[in-house]
Amino acid sequence: MEKTEVAAKIKAMLIENLRIPEEILEDDSELFGGDIGLDSVDSLEIIAGIDDMFGVNMTGVDKTNFRDINALANYVVEHAEA
Amino acid sequence: MKKRCVITGLGIICPIGNNIEESWNSIKNGRSGIAKVKSVNTEGCYADLGGEVHYDALPAPQYDRSVRLCIQAAQEAIQDAGIQDKEVGVIVGSCIGGAVSIDEYLTAQKQGIQKDDCIVNMAASSIANHVSAYFGLHGATANIVNACAAGTMSISYACDLIRSGNGSMFLAGGTDPFSSLAFAGFHALHALSVESCSPLNHSNGITLGEGSGILLVEEYEHAVARGAKIYCEVAGYGVNGDAYHITAPDPTGQGQMDVIRRALHAAGVTPDDIDYVNAHGTGTAKNDEAEFLSLHTIFDGTDVSVSSTKSMTGHCLGAAGAVEAVFTVKAVSENVLPPTIGYSEEDRTALEEKAGGLDFVANDSRSKEISMAMSNSFAFGGTNASIIFAKKELQPQDTPKKKRIFITGFGQVMSQDTGTPVAGLTLDMKDFTERGVKLGVFRKLDKFSQLQLISGIDALSCAKISVTEDNERKIGMIIGTSAGPVTEVSNFQKNICEKGTTAGSAFTFPNTVYNAAGGHFSIFMKTKGYCATVANGTQAGIQSICYAYDVLQQGNEDIMLAAGTDEGSDMVTYFYEHSGINGDRTLGEGSSTICLETEASVTQREAVTYAEVAGYACTHSSGMEDYTEATAIKDAVMSALAKADMQTEDVDAVYAITGNLPDGEAQRAVLSDIFPHVETIDVRQQTGDCRAASANAQVAEAAQAIYQKKIAVALAVSYGCGSYSAIVLKG
Repeated sequence: MEKTEVAAKIKAMLIENLRIPEEILEDDSELFGGDIGLDSVDSLEIIAGIDDMFGVNMTGVDKTNFRDINALANYVVEHAEA
Repeated sequence: MKKRCVITGLGIICPIGNNIEESWNSIKNGRSGIAKVKSVNTEGCYADLGGEVHYDALPAPQYDRSVRLCIQAAQEAIQDAGIQDKEVGVIVGSCIGGAVSIDEYLTAQKQGIQKDDCIVNMAASSIANHVSAYFGLHGATANIVNACAAGTMSISYACDLIRSGNGSMFLAGGTDPFSSLAFAGFHALHALSVESCSPLNHSNGITLGEGSGILLVEEYEHAVARGAKIYCEVAGYGVNGDAYHITAPDPTGQGQMDVIRRALHAAGVTPDDIDYVNAHGTGTAKNDEAEFLSLHTIFDGTDVSVSSTKSMTGHCLGAAGAVEAVFTVKAVSENVLPPTIGYSEEDRTALEEKAGGLDFVANDSRSKEISMAMSNSFAFGGTNASIIFAKKELQPQDTPKKKRIFITGFGQVMSQDTGTPVAGLTLDMKDFTERGVKLGVFRKLDKFSQLQLISGIDALSCAKISVTEDNERKIGMIIGTSAGPVTEVSNFQKNICEKGTTAGSAFTFPNTVYNAAGGHFSIFMKTKGYCATVANGTQAGIQSICYAYDVLQQGNEDIMLAAGTDEGSDMVTYFYEHSGINGDRTLGEGSSTICLETEASVTQREAVTYAEVAGYACTHSSGMEDYTEATAIKDAVMSALAKADMQTEDVDAVYAITGNLPDGEAQRAVLSDIFPHVETIDVRQQTGDCRAASANAQVAEAAQAIYQKKIAVALAVSYGCGSYSAIVLKG
């Protein structure tokens, strides 16, 4: 799967499941700090969403992979089964 | 002297027994009721254990399981207390309300079946009313919906109502059924333990339970006069808010320690006087760490013994505090320490280190002379509650001087009635940023919490109150609601009905508890005083004011916000359309918050006062012939006037929210009989029926009319779920 496609799906999931306004969410927006300010409960929702969409389990994965949509998409592309 | 409240009856049904005798035997023998879950589909889940009640003879199949469990426990408490009286109130704590009925309704709907009979059982508002109706009772009712602290708070609220002259006997406790909602929610949060929960030990998660505990709380003189068996006295209690996080406790234990100190202070005792603590002890790492810290800080150097009976029952959520209160009362009356079970030899060695000088009762119950015991509950939304039961005769306390309470601010966000059947209200990010609410907070709010946060912020701002470190513990909030966060609950449940238990949303789940809105408010504003949410139909928007009035009388708080909040949803619209309750009135949504303040605080701040609360009363009718709804509304009005020391002729304006069915006509007929000289005012004409928000808003409107000198005295009354609350305001 193409990274851009993965990133778009992740973005849509974040908007839908975590009520992040679309207009402020870029692929390089910092998710767990700054204005968006996600927390540990939100990370559970991201893990569940990514598992659901791509079959990739991110439980226990280093938090740098959750930094922004790009990092999440990279992880998914690298670990998704072909 | 301050009225004393005693326990004169006990009833229980829980995973370790279907009555007091069975359950108490299990406690004494350290028997667990935790096994593989049968009532919820756990396919694909990483955990599958729970504490379920297996009892085929639960009464009243027409009601939700929460009500049926509660009736079973209440029946035993009534028999134990030996009462035939019908003037008994019902105060029930619940976390998830009618979640089982919501599940049943949505599951059937998925199969193309419309189960309308489930609808009336869905809201937590219906529980106390249904229990009351089953026994044909007519004392005041309420459902305290503060998640896992609810069962404890309902006992303390019953004591408040006795002290404020709203009844002499209350069935008080909590109830919650095993549900897919709670299981899927805690599963999504990864808060379930794979093995049986191991509180104060391995602390690797909770195991859910279910059940109901009911205590007959009775005014001491009343109990003595009828020759009742008295188990013990409710010596004191405290309720507060952590103002830290919507699901996690403050790791510093500040809120927990404060609430324990509040209870000790109310009882007039010191930590040395407490012989046993029934800990909240859920078994999550965060809870247990904070609780160890709190217990050590308060009790180190004393001979207190501590245990968590959740190791046997599982976490019974809204019933937990009540089930544990029953065990605490039994511990006091029988001088037996309940154990925490599940320690291996290795665990015992580790416990010695964690226990320090405290006596954590491991595996086996023991005898100990217990004069006084405490039960603690710490809930989602940051609500903490602590209660103390005493066997020994306490020094009678003087009745605190009655405080004058003033209305000093308002906040409102309400839909507008434009003639459509449903009037909605859209709030966007801008409404929040202009009030200083950042995105990280806004994102977390469901509609119910959004409405409440705005009206709450506006009420404080109108009253010109800033929350500071000096006053944060002196400011609290009571929210009244009819249907609670119904959209979030139904969305969460729809998802798991469609995709299975593993599809629970960790993001949504915290908002499915009714007190989440109060939690979000307290976290945002940093208010750490008393917090409660009452679900009891439309009139809960006035009952919250009455409740807050009593809280202010107790002296811990200077300022209490009292709100009414209800949101619109497809489910609510469907219910109102099909039940005909609303006739052709537009169904609206909104939130109204009133700021109440003691005279001392008003003087100190030089605050503007809009009106004074002169008196209030709460009544209830189960629709029985010996106490009709017409009698209940009349009693509420006349009793509120009597407490205000006023006559019917003194009232210049009557604000009333009445029904549309024949009972509504009867209500209006009663009011025009009592007040032939004034027209009743219905504030719903501008906003649509915003239910609890409308009930609250009419009090705000009355106070403003008094402030503008249009009138001198106003009465506001509302109905809902068989209950009536009336309040008298004066200039």
